[in-house]
Amino acid sequence: MIRLDNASYNYPKGSGVSNINLTIGNDEFAFIIGPTGSGKTTLLRMIYMDLLPQVGKVVVDEFDSKKIKPRKIPFLRRKIGMVFQEYHLLDDRNLFDNIALSLHVIGCSKDEIVDRVTESIEEVGLNGKEDRYPEELSGGEQQRACIARAFVKNPDIILADEPTGNLDPVTSFELIKLLEEVNREGTAVIMASHDYNLIKGRGHRIVEIQEGSVRQS
Amino acid sequence: MDKMMFLFSEGLKNLWRHKLTAFTAIFSTFLTLAVAGSLMIVGQNTNKVIEYLRGKYKIEVFFKESVPDKQINAVVKEFNKINGVRSTTIISKSDAEKIFKSQFGENILDIVGYNPLPASCVVNVVKFQSDKMNILPIVERIKSYPEVDEVLYQGRLIYRIETYYQKFVQIMTALLILILVISVFIISNTVRLTIFAKKELIQALQLIGATRSFVKAPFVIEGVFHGLIGAMLASAILIIGLEIGSDILYSVSKITIQYSPLVLIGILTSLSVVISILGSSRAISRFLK
Repeated sequence: MIRLDNASYNYPKGSGVSNINLTIGNDEFAFIIGPTGSGKTTLLRMIYMDLLPQVGKVVVDEFDSKKIKPRKIPFLRRKIGMVFQEYHLLDDRNLFDNIALSLHVIGCSKDEIVDRVTESIEEVGLNGKEDRYPEELSGGEQQRACIARAFVKNPDIILADEPTGNLDPVTSFELIKLLEEVNREGTAVIMASHDYNLIKGRGHRIVEIQEGSVRQS
Repeated sequence: MDKMMFLFSEGLKNLWRHKLTAFTAIFSTFLTLAVAGSLMIVGQNTNKVIEYLRGKYKIEVFFKESVPDKQINAVVKEFNKINGVRSTTIISKSDAEKIFKSQFGENILDIVGYNPLPASCVVNVVKFQSDKMNILPIVERIKSYPEVDEVLYQGRLIYRIETYYQKFVQIMTALLILILVISVFIISNTVRLTIFAKKELIQALQLIGATRSFVKAPFVIEGVFHGLIGAMLASAILIIGLEIGSDILYSVSKITIQYSPLVLIGILTSLSVVISILGSSRAISRFLK
């Protein structure tokens, strides 16, 4: 479970988020919607504790931003899969190795890595492209690879920050369907987007954020 | 185990991925170790020279006329117990007479009618001593025996040799430390270039939950590979140079350069591992702050 209690973070040059109170359940799918610069990314960064709130706190399962030691943050992040607009795939390794990296970090055995990576590549429909490098994949394929990388480690939560920002509408809808499938398997998904048309009518919770404050949820 | 293998292979692959920085790091390690190795060889051979010279240091002790041979033997036994004394040789009155004859070709008894040469003793000092040798305490102890008439030694010469040797050792040590410290900084800065080039990888690793040590390990392992390759090159070049140099020196002066290839390789390899671990750890730790 994710809980933000009166959480605020302000950047030295202004903007950020203020007094966020939000609870997201273990198997929930929630959209964070708001215009560019409204604080969506800041809110997500507080959840994976890249930013620690200056006021209030964020609690993710047993990890409390007020008490967490820096050396414990990696263990929180192992429970979270992240998907970004800019993909953040590593150019110097192929699709298989990009996805496998998450499993190397948590200390999986070689056999387990092969099984789980192959399975996740199949789930996102990229079979046969294991040996391709990111530059040899289309934008949609790269983003699907990011989703595979995020869920290959069986995370409790997936945070997706504008994952459709660089994709065409059709690919964007396919991507959301993919995230919904992941959510059906019991993983909480929080997706930030500025595109209301993309998320409306999908039956998921919508949290609206404007100028750093949650307006309605 | 698989995790270790992964980190090890990442370090190895990085060598190829970062060819330019790898070349720079290997070349700077090679240069550092070649200079450090040369200094060590020079130091070791200078040590041989000082040991040779110390072997020539002599303290000649002349005994009073009235002291009987038995007492001289007892006193010389005492000399052997003095700290810094390696060996002693007694020259009795009759030995001195023989030496006189061999050196001057005449019997002293025929010249003056009796043997005026005193019994004496040659005291040799220890050769193996890393710090400056002070011969004065030995001389003072010997002089304190009432049986001793006169003590002769090359005081000023020995003092000069020992002082110069001491300064030489200090300068060489300082130079060696300086070179090693500089090399840590060079390697650290070279690795920093690699780290900047791999900023994305580090960020990705941090986002997927890698601990600091997991992020650091491939860079440190890569640094160790740089160091080992640099050490191998430096060892090879030095050994070839020393063999050629030794042959030339021998043909000119019958002197050979003293060194052990295995010890040289061992020292350079150990040094390379230490400086590359220090350099790469410093670089990545500063980046992860």
